[in-house]
Amino acid sequence: MHLSGFDVFAWAAALIGHLILVTVLVVRDRVRTFPFFTAYIVEQISSAILQYFVFYHLSFHTFQYSFWSWSILDEILQLLVLYEIAVHIFCPTGTWASDVRKTLMGLVAASAVVAILLAWLAHPEAPYGIQRFILRSNFFSAMLMSELFVGTVMLSVTVGLPWKTHVARIAQGLGTYSIVRVAIAIAVNFVGLHPHGYFFKDMSHLEYFTYLACEAYWIVTLWAEAPVPRELPEAMRHQIYTLQRQVENDLIRIRAWRRN
Amino acid sequence: MRNLYFVVLAVLVLAGLSATLFRYYLRARRSADASWEDILNRLVPIDRDAIATIALDVVTESGESRAEEDSFALDNTAIWSLLGGLKGLEVLERNCQVLVDLAAYVQRTYPEALMVAEQLRLNAREIEWHVSRLKGAAQTGNLQASFADYAQRAVVTYYRMTRNVLALYDHAGFTRLAELQQAI
Repeated sequence: MHLSGFDVFAWAAALIGHLILVTVLVVRDRVRTFPFFTAYIVEQISSAILQYFVFYHLSFHTFQYSFWSWSILDEILQLLVLYEIAVHIFCPTGTWASDVRKTLMGLVAASAVVAILLAWLAHPEAPYGIQRFILRSNFFSAMLMSELFVGTVMLSVTVGLPWKTHVARIAQGLGTYSIVRVAIAIAVNFVGLHPHGYFFKDMSHLEYFTYLACEAYWIVTLWAEAPVPRELPEAMRHQIYTLQRQVENDLIRIRAWRRN
Repeated sequence: MRNLYFVVLAVLVLAGLSATLFRYYLRARRSADASWEDILNRLVPIDRDAIATIALDVVTESGESRAEEDSFALDNTAIWSLLGGLKGLEVLERNCQVLVDLAAYVQRTYPEALMVAEQLRLNAREIEWHVSRLKGAAQTGNLQASFADYAQRAVVTYYRMTRNVLALYDHAGFTRLAELQQAI
């Protein structure tokens, strides 16, 4: 087994990108704000190093086992990053906004159902069963992430909850990458895997370049600071919090009214 | 053949996702870029005296509930007429969204006003809920019976919201408070 020149380039570029990104997260003190996103980037670094070692020094069977284990972890962490984004948007006051909880759960369920149905419908041509399974699971993962990303944007705009600068940048990167992945996965599932074909390889290269662009975007935007908010004067702070208590009392009364 | 169905359906879903994303992205951008004037121009003129009459039928100027014998004097027909029917309620619904955007405008300058903005947003959503119940009642032919219950509650919430937003802008020291008072 050996890696092509492009494979080595892609591996090294992604690894260097992730190392820079994790440095940005640490230096700019964003680790506490985005623990799952940081964990995802650290997992990418560990995966790249360990899989390189396994590929060259251990058996192909061990490499396959390692590849699948990391892929599952990768998927779980991507879902956790989306959860982290949702928490930042839909928990503006520290608890989940009461008007979005049910819709959000419905969105997750509907996205999973659509992704499962489409992945079940896919029937790519490939020499081995395991390859067909990989193509379909790649499609499922990309479709689920895209649906959840678009659903999150749709819900936040509908209910009027704004996105903070860095949350929006992480979501834009991950969302764009997922949507490109869906397009690639559809094409690959349609054409299939052929022993002497180049289509799958070309599509993999396109996916790599998309991810590298996404990494560069994260590095630049997470390095930049968010616009500095103006400090609230003490008198205004007191007035606003008093007002908030009044509004809460109003709501309790309004909800309790019954027309005689 | 099955793979062809897959491609057609998957492409349709992908196109739908991309179109939805583009549409909502533009909407979010418009909202974030909107100036004070842009937001204010979206307010639909409303009879403020009628709103106050309906709301003050159940609450005092300060938002306290009226004593039972002094409240709920307006009957269904009077509320229907004052508000302008279901269309009037839909105007309230649209104006509530504008009020949320106005509160968000202050929040952008002072992010610590988040709690108030969030409460106002929830109020607007509550009014939307009342309107949706009324629309449901209209479909089942029970509009007249349900109108007063839901509409008056929505109007009172709207009335309180306008007072809260004005208080918020007053606290923030906005010079154009008089203009806003005229609009809502």
